[in-house]
Amino acid sequence: MEGNNIIEVRNLCKSFGSLEVLNDINTDFKEKEVVSIIGPSGGGKSTFLRCLNLLETPTSGQIIFNGVDLCSKKIDINVHRQKIGMVFQHFNLFNNMNVMKNLTIAPMKINGKSREEAEEKALGFLKRMGLEDKVNAYPAQLSGGQKQRIAIVRSLMMEPEVMLFDEPTSALDPEMIGEVLDVIKQLAYDGMTMLIVTHEMRFAREVSDRILFLDGGKIDEDRSADEFFDDPKSPRLISFLKKVL
Amino acid sequence: MGFFEQIAAILQQYTPFFLDGIKNTLIIAALSVVLGAVFGTLMAIMRMCKIKPLRWLATAYIEFVRGTPLMVQLMFIFYGLPMVGIQFPDISWIPNFSRFMAGIVAMSINSCAYVAEVIRSGIQAVDEGQMEAARSIGFKYGESMKLVILPQAIRNILPALGNEFVTVIKESSIVSVIGISDLMYSTNGVIAITYRSLPCLAIAACLYFILTFTGSRLIAVLEKRMKHGRQ
Ligand SMILES: Nc1ncnc2c1ncn2[C@@H]1O[C@H](COP(=O)(O)OP(=O)(O)O)[C@@H](O)[C@H]1O
Ligand SMILES: [Mg+2]
Repeated sequence: MEGNNIIEVRNLCKSFGSLEVLNDINTDFKEKEVVSIIGPSGGGKSTFLRCLNLLETPTSGQIIFNGVDLCSKKIDINVHRQKIGMVFQHFNLFNNMNVMKNLTIAPMKINGKSREEAEEKALGFLKRMGLEDKVNAYPAQLSGGQKQRIAIVRSLMMEPEVMLFDEPTSALDPEMIGEVLDVIKQLAYDGMTMLIVTHEMRFAREVSDRILFLDGGKIDEDRSADEFFDDPKSPRLISFLKKVL
Repeated sequence: MGFFEQIAAILQQYTPFFLDGIKNTLIIAALSVVLGAVFGTLMAIMRMCKIKPLRWLATAYIEFVRGTPLMVQLMFIFYGLPMVGIQFPDISWIPNFSRFMAGIVAMSINSCAYVAEVIRSGIQAVDEGQMEAARSIGFKYGESMKLVILPQAIRNILPALGNEFVTVIKESSIVSVIGISDLMYSTNGVIAITYRSLPCLAIAACLYFILTFTGSRLIAVLEKRMKHGRQ
């Protein structure tokens, strides 16, 4: 895979009190790369993702985003977070705002976009997803699949350079998983750089350039998507795959 | 004369007494809750802020006030403040102004602690994911609070604040012991004149109930209206 490193993770460690959750993680993510992160529950996948945009402060190590060390005290993390989209398991749409407001508030308040510009862009996204009739709906009035697709659009509105997905379909009813995965596949097709924590093995194989197996706070396997499933080396991954496939 | 005839007779003669008491009770309750809300907000901010000594101070205050009887607090303020040289002036056109103020100060100090807890739990009841989503998109902490968290917290806080007002209406009956002419004080006055304690107390109980019941119905309506708007 060609391209520049967009995120470089160097010696990343994270502990909660005496609990060591991430133990010396080193890896790079390239522009336009789609990387899935797979592993047992409690293995540190969410913590890893949340360290990348500093929702969790790493105990030590460096997160280098476009050449800037995000852990440095001298930078304004808020500026960099705008370029790192994040999609959560539980959607986390702003409950006090309707769909349009959810989508336009950040571009307007943070980037100083005009209302017209922001709304036009939001409407474009909504139309592409067939959700334009939901502009005035509040999150509580939407299905899980609709919420998650709108959460993805909310991130896209900021024109992120990379998107982080933390189990985007785990809270969804089975019949809604497809509509969300389709959106993510389309993003991959459009060349978005993405890191995806997921339990959807078939989807991971289909969409990813590379898959990481994160277990016990370490990257236990780091392979191309096909090799990951067809020729796993780590014994733990082999037994994990036996259980889930 | 039967019980209800006695009540009727008392009401016929002494209704202005009771009305005056109601007026003062409402004034005391309203002022206490407003002051309690203002200082309670500050206290809640202190309790949640990053500066440890402030947090510790606020926590100590809240726990202490909530863990001691209002009666003790009232006496402490009423007798204690003049001793340390704080005296409310007597104003000619408001009778008993200095007593009145002592009552309001004590009630506010008390209410402040409860309001602080109402506000804190209202904010903490907002799903953590809301703050995370706001921060991850690039909003600063303060912006996230203002745009996302507080508008949701206010829906938890306002009804609870209404309940606090209802509670204060009831609790304020205690200020009668320092001679503030609230509803309880008027009732005692009428008892002293008529020697009919049970009918007078029955009237007082009904009046308190009307105040609190009306209050909680109003809150329920308000709550429903807020829910209808969104969510
Ligand atoms: N804020 C936190 N405080 C304490 N422990 C935490 C916190 N967040 C996660 N953990 C712990 O870290 C470990 C890894 O959690 P997580 O990253 O959520 O794993 P995964 O997403 O792979 O299931 C778990 O043991 C979890 O209990
Ligand atoms: Mg997780």
